[in-house]
Amino acid sequence: MGTAIKAEVRKLLTTRLWWGMAIAVLAAGALLALLMASILNETPNPEQQAQGQPAMTPLQIATSTYTSGSAFGYVLLMVIGIMTIGSEYRHKTITGSLLAVPHRSRLIAAKVIALLAFGVLYGLIFLIGSVGAGATVLSIRGLEVFPEPGTLLRSLVLVLLVLGLWALIGLGLGVLITNQIAAILVGVGVAFIVEPLLGVLVSQVSWGESLAKYFPSRATNAVLQGYAQDGSTNQLSWWAGALVLIGYAAIMVAIGTFLTERRDVT
Amino acid sequence: MDGRIDVRNLSKSFGTFRAVDDLSFSVEPGRITGFLGPNGAGKTTTLRMVLGLIKPTSGTATIGGTPYTQLTHPISTVGAALEATNFHPGRTGRDHLRVIASAAGLPDSRADELLTLVGIPAAARKRAGGYSMGMRQRLGLAAALMGDPKVLILDEPANGLDPEGIRWLRGFLRHLASEGKTILISSHLLAEVEQTVDDVIIIANGRAVRQGTIDELRGEKRVRVLSPQSDRLARALSDAGLQVRPAEGGGLSVIADETAQIGEIAYRAGVPVHELHSERADLEQLFFQLTENTNRNLGDPAQGFAAPQEGGR
Repeated sequence: MGTAIKAEVRKLLTTRLWWGMAIAVLAAGALLALLMASILNETPNPEQQAQGQPAMTPLQIATSTYTSGSAFGYVLLMVIGIMTIGSEYRHKTITGSLLAVPHRSRLIAAKVIALLAFGVLYGLIFLIGSVGAGATVLSIRGLEVFPEPGTLLRSLVLVLLVLGLWALIGLGLGVLITNQIAAILVGVGVAFIVEPLLGVLVSQVSWGESLAKYFPSRATNAVLQGYAQDGSTNQLSWWAGALVLIGYAAIMVAIGTFLTERRDVT
Repeated sequence: MDGRIDVRNLSKSFGTFRAVDDLSFSVEPGRITGFLGPNGAGKTTTLRMVLGLIKPTSGTATIGGTPYTQLTHPISTVGAALEATNFHPGRTGRDHLRVIASAAGLPDSRADELLTLVGIPAAARKRAGGYSMGMRQRLGLAAALMGDPKVLILDEPANGLDPEGIRWLRGFLRHLASEGKTILISSHLLAEVEQTVDDVIIIANGRAVRQGTIDELRGEKRVRVLSPQSDRLARALSDAGLQVRPAEGGGLSVIADETAQIGEIAYRAGVPVHELHSERADLEQLFFQLTENTNRNLGDPAQGFAAPQEGGR
């Protein structure tokens, strides 16, 4: 098993994908942190309050600053997850992979562990960008850089988990839709447009709120920020959100394993 | 593990299409076996079933008595090169081999050793997307040899190789067979592997139509001799205990290993000889007869196989 994991890590590190994605993840973290750190205020002026900007605690400002870019980060990790299997189908390297690791569930398990490790790696890169840029701006503005260290640190550590889990969701999607380009388009389209839109629509009906909070993007928010952005109380606690997200990842990996076991590799 | 490949009653259907139909054969260690058939005969499907990539509808395929998927050290037991396109275009040849090395628990140094062995050490740092067809074939062969396996399975290894490359491959496979390896190579061109293989398995329409050694396929060695006094020469040859028959297109066809033997008999009988040469069985013709009218990909229903002929003419 260890050898199979090492091979998967190598596959990721021996093409240009990984550092291209590293730059994108770093940029997503840094840019959103710059934006959030610049516009958020503890007590919004009357004009901002009229626009609906709520009063925020120092913790909320810091958490928003350091984690807002993760919405882009997790989509990028989902794409990496898709590509770890999608490029194997596309370039037919799946044949060689299965010749080296004929146990198919073992091959998928190796990919799962490698992707979780890359979630940690990219999470650290993300935090270098977001904390580096965000803390600079916050301190220049005279805001608290690291309030309530315990809770804030928990959110930052959970970024590493969230990115890995989204990579696993991508892995399952990549097995489900074997055309890599189609899988990326569907994945990004759903994550950026369909799912958030559906969340808003569902929330319009009376029972919708209690359903929408289980949506992947809202569960992710719950994990990272620990409070609802719109101030509504209808949000999962951070650990419940984490369990929901783990559930999504587990289901997608299970589908991926099932299909990989059954398919003929021609 | 003796490295014998055993295929027993192997069948595969894709929907209603029977790609491989009750195929049985075995491949012996220390010999090069050609797995031949026209395009679409089921060669690649069979090899992929042997390697556990395609699940058979029925039947079994084992290597040294074990199915491929249950081998403990697959890369060090069986080396396979299936298609020349199985590379990520953005990964260098060396990295491609190192990925396999790490999956098989082999040292990284194997990658460079193998690139040198197959004659493309300069390609190590080049991305595989920029490789020529010949380089791809060699990289595929290097990947197959990573674990110094006992068994080699190569799908169309000569495809895309130039004549020099084919000659190199032939010598290379000879060398590997002399080390006692089991070698199975597929091809849709008999002529391409005729000088390389010891045994042949010819399939058409997913079924085996001929199996045996290449010498059996060729039949007896014959010598063709042309003389203005055919009858006298025929008598002299028969008296010497040789089997003689009139050859197509004139002259005599004699079962004999050497032309010198015939020339000497003619000389002693005082018969002039105008032409004397050893006859080769036309294997390409035989191959065509065995497999013609069977290409289901052309939509032509198989109208009974040509009866297997004895080798030669």
